[in-house]
Formats: sequence, C-alpha cells, structure tokens
Amino acid sequence: MKRALITGITGQDGAYLAELMLKKNYEVHGIKRRASQFNTDRIDHLYQDPHESDRRFVLHYGDLTDSTNLIRIVQQVQPDEIYNLAAQSHVQVSFETPEYTANADALGALRLLEAIRILGLEKKTKFYQASTSELYGLVQETPQTEKTPFYPRSPYAAAKLYAYWITVNYREAYGIFGCNGILFNHESPIRGETFVTRKITRGLARIKLGFQDCLYLGNLDGKRDWGHARDYVELMWLMLQQEQPKDYVIATGIQNSVRDFVNIAGREVGLDIRWEGSGAEEKGYDRNTGKCIVAVDKRYYRPTEVEALLGDASLAREALGWEPKTSFEEMVAEMVAQDLKEASRDLLCSREGFSVKNYYE
Amino acid sequence: MDNMGNGKQKTALILGVSGQDGSYLAKFLLGKGYRVIGASRDAQMSSFSNLKHLRVYDRLEFESVSLNDFRSVLQILNKVQPGEVYNLAGQTSVGLSFDQPVESFESISIGTLNLLEAIRFLNIPIRIYNAGSSECFGNTEGASANEETPFHPRSPYAVAKAAAFWHMANYREAYGLFACSGLLFNHESPLRPERFVTRKIVNAACRIAKGSGEVLELGNIEVERDWGWAPEYIEAMWCMLQQENPEDFVIATGETNKLADFVHEAFDAVHLNWHDHVRTTQTLFRPTDILTVKADPLKAQRKLGWKAQYKMKDVARMMVEEELKGFEN
Repeated sequence: MKRALITGITGQDGAYLAELMLKKNYEVHGIKRRASQFNTDRIDHLYQDPHESDRRFVLHYGDLTDSTNLIRIVQQVQPDEIYNLAAQSHVQVSFETPEYTANADALGALRLLEAIRILGLEKKTKFYQASTSELYGLVQETPQTEKTPFYPRSPYAAAKLYAYWITVNYREAYGIFGCNGILFNHESPIRGETFVTRKITRGLARIKLGFQDCLYLGNLDGKRDWGHARDYVELMWLMLQQEQPKDYVIATGIQNSVRDFVNIAGREVGLDIRWEGSGAEEKGYDRNTGKCIVAVDKRYYRPTEVEALLGDASLAREALGWEPKTSFEEMVAEMVAQDLKEASRDLLCSREGFSVKNYYE
Repeated sequence: MDNMGNGKQKTALILGVSGQDGSYLAKFLLGKGYRVIGASRDAQMSSFSNLKHLRVYDRLEFESVSLNDFRSVLQILNKVQPGEVYNLAGQTSVGLSFDQPVESFESISIGTLNLLEAIRFLNIPIRIYNAGSSECFGNTEGASANEETPFHPRSPYAVAKAAAFWHMANYREAYGLFACSGLLFNHESPLRPERFVTRKIVNAACRIAKGSGEVLELGNIEVERDWGWAPEYIEAMWCMLQQENPEDFVIATGETNKLADFVHEAFDAVHLNWHDHVRTTQTLFRPTDILTVKADPLKAQRKLGWKAQYKMKDVARMMVEEELKGFEN
C-alpha cells in the first residue's frame, strides 16, 4: 500500500486531498499543528481511532517551522508522496506577519525537501508543492501559463516564489521528483471563513437569516479565476503519477469579479442586489427592503493590489487529460447552500435558547 | 553631488562592510564626504582586513548587527539614523548555499525583510540599496538579461536572492519605500576571497610563476560569465540612491567570456601557458550550474550615466598585478 504524507491536512485542500487519497487506497498521514482548540473539523469524518486495527488515516503533530519534527515524521512514515499544502495562506495577513509567512511558506518547503535529501529518499519520495497564481501578481501577460514571468505583490507571494524555485532547484540539482501546481483560486464550502468567497456566502446567508446587517468587503473590482477545490486536488495526485516531474497551471480559464461573486451568491440566497456609487463609496442594496447590505471597507484593500488573474490550463488539459468538473455558478450555489444550512442551525439553536457564536474577524 | 557643500553631512550605513563590496563602498563614500558606519555580525571580532588593506579602517565607525534579529536591526537604524543603507551582507557563495540552504535563506531573504520592516516601522526617510544578483537570471540562453528578464534561479543562493529582490519591489510599491536592487553581474577584485574562482586562479597562477610546481584543479571551465571590476561597480550602487525615483538596475560590462578565457588571461599575465598547469575535475562541478550569462547594462548607462571601464582582460591582469605585489612585500 502506498503512503502519502499531507502537510496542511486540516485545511480546505488537505481535507479534500485526504479524502481522495483514502479512496485511492493510500495510507494517509497528515501533519497538524498543536492548538488549544480542536482544529480538525474538516477531517472529522475521516478520523480513525488509534485503537482500530489497519488504520489508514494517521495524524501527527508537527509544524513547518520545525526541521527536527519534519525529519522525524518523514523518517517514520517513509512516504511515497508528500503533498506540501501547509502554509500561512492568507495574502492580507502576510502583510502583517511577513517574517512568519516567509518562515512557514518559504523555509517550510525547503525543510521538507531537505528532509527527503537527508534521509536519502530522493529516489522514493515524490514531492508536490502548492504554488499559487498570486505569483503572477502584477500580471505580465493574460492569460497566465507556466511560461508567464512572475511578479509577486505580497509577502505571501514572495515566500511562495521562494518555495516554487527551491522545488525546481531540488528537482534539477538532486533529481527529486518535485512538481509545482500553480493553482488559481479554488474555493468550496469548507474554505476558511476569512477568505473573500466564503466571507461573501457566509455573510449573505447570515444577512438573509437576520444574524448580520451588512457585509464589508475590499476591492470589488478584483477579478479572479475561481475553481472548486475538490476538482483541483485530483490534479495534485495526477501530477505525481506522471513519467516526468513538471509544473502545471491549474485554472478554469473563466474570470469573474468579486462583485460578480456577490451577485450570484445573492441570487442563490434570495437577495436581489442593486449597486450604487463607485470605488470606496460603492454600496449594494437589497431591492426588496432598500437596506444597504454590502459596503466597501478600505481596511480590506491590500497595500499592493493584484487586480486580475486568469489562468490557461492547456498543459494540464493536454498532458493530464484534466478538466474542471464544477462550474463557477455550481460552486457558488454549493457554498451558499452550506452556509444557509449553518445559519439555519444557528437560528434554531438561538430560538431554543442556546448561545450562538458569531466569530468576528 | 558631494556632501561637503550643502552643510549637512550625510550618513551611510553599510551592512556587510567587511566584504569586498562593503570595503570599496566605504572608501568611496568617505571620499564623497559621508559619515560611514560599517556593520558586521560581530564588529569586535572581525579583522576588517579589507578595510585595512584599503587604508580606510580608521575613518569608519563600527557597529555589530545581526540581520536575522529584528531587534538588532531596529536598534542600529534608530541609533545611526542613516540617510542611506547599503545591504551587502549575507551568505555570498553559491557553492556553499547547496550545503547551507537554510542559512542562505535566513541571511539573505529574512535579513532583507527585517531591514525593510524596520525602515517601515521607524518611518524615517531612509534610502535602501540591496545587493541583488545576476544569479537570479540563471541561464540566459543567448539573450542578454536586462531589468525586464524573468528570473530562473538555479541554486539556493539564487532562489534566496530572488525572494529578497521581490520583497524590495513589494515594499517599494506597497509602502513607498525608496528601495533599489542592483542586479550585479560577477565583479572581482584583489579583495575577493580565495573560494571565489577568479581569485583562486589568479593566486595559483602567481604561485606557479614563482615555482610552486602545483597543478590547479578547476570545475567546469566552459561556463560563461560577465566579469567586471568591483571598485567601479559600487559606484553604481551609490548612483541608484541619488536618483529621483527608486528603480532596479542591471550592472555589468556587457561582455561575456568563458572561464577558460579568464584562466588564459591570468596565466598569460605571468607568461605561462595555462594548458600546462590546469586540470578540470568533476568533483568541483555544482549540482546545478549556470552555463552561460549575458548582460545588457544599457539602462544603467542611460539613467545613471554609469558604464564599466574595465572588462575581463583588465580584471584578470589587475588582479594578477596586485597579487604579485604581495609576493614582493
């Protein structure tokens, strides 16, 4: 049985990938950070008790900022494949914690590659590095392909740039089977609540059910190429099954603005939104009630904005035979449905007198 | 542009002052009337032999700074209040970076990040120069690299330099810092330590000329580089910080030569045929090496008025001359 080690297993992509790998009959090992509260919600359904026999899902405590810990886990697990999905993954937060972001995102990848090298696993262990469309930043051409030069615009992107090239370098220097997946934005009902897409679907669902009055967003004109995380994790696995290691762009090839996202999510929730004003003064009103339900808060502007990203995944389509399965509208609908369900649960709880958490940013 | 006339003396802080570039820059800035503070990881333990060699050691003030330590960076900037900061510190050997990849990242990328964060935090109008590297370009494959050429770094050193370059660009664009990266191609001088191949060749050629009878072992001598003269490259750093707007510049001679050509010049300068004294060995090859680089330094000429006066042949001969002087003393 093949063994996979997934860093960032408690995150959106980690959870989808773990599920996929279990279906593909892998023994799945994951690394989670120690926290004072449970942080395994997304993989709760995959959990296997340590007392069960033939366990195929094992969690290890660890942290990408600790080399000794990573070397020991890789030594214990002897993985056939490592998927490095762990990171400080929030662009805006990286402006506030640039050094931590560099440590976890840039050095983290290097530490894993070094672990492979130190343990002499260069021929055995394949390595997937979660790279990102944020590398293109101030885009040099549209759409972006594997050949488009990078122009990172945030501490997050600069750190990811290091991780990208160090993966390429260890492939060229030491023959490690290392691949970068340059994934464009990928969302899902289990996306972190502070990322703009989930913030929108959750916010509108809660506005609809009366938990919240207004949704505050940053740059409404920002354009992204949004796909479904569940579709994208398949690519991660596929890349490591090829003859030769290569880097691939993964994207849908379709671009929407943040405002488009709000409109479609609004329609799904049952809120018809009318826009007025522009720039920081732009506001979205509920046509039925006339109330302002969406507004711009400049606090969410990035110091350096990435205006528009659009990916060209031709190489992945041709070489890996991959196509995204979920359309943008279907994905938004799925996210809204989940957030409506959660908001309804909260409504039920609060009606029955139980306290409900709001979770402010 | 000198400081003497305008009443107020300018202050420059040089990080990595004990190295080749730091030492030449210190001498240059002193000549311009600057107050120069030189920083090194442990200023009391450093011998500063380069500064002594250039006879400027006595005219500098020294501070100990660890770029990996934010407090240390913040403290020194606050104390010195420099108008200009030149960051030439950090691990400088491509070969060594394959053995110490983490240290390379920390001293190069995190070091630059700490400096930028400290300047941002203190909110004083400091102009900062950061030593970028032509290694970021990787193999240029026939085309000449200019400021628009995409990076393809091929060593942990180069990857770390690329990350530092983008941090500089990011802090310039996000927070309006006056931050410039110089993408300097190879620049040599008698102050290069012997682990750099040019100095290794020059020293061996001189020893052999004096009858040492040794054989010089080299790695891949087919690699091509653009070699310039360090003492004039540091002038370009200063020029960048005197511009109206902060920008990045490629600094090079624009002339590419094989390492074998450099070997030829160095041995020719001591009247020897290098073929009789040099052997190449596979063990000195790097895990990934850059085969050829070409540089296009036109922007620097156009905007800074800077142009390399010395090419590879001059560099090899001047290094040999200096080394031979050492034998006479």
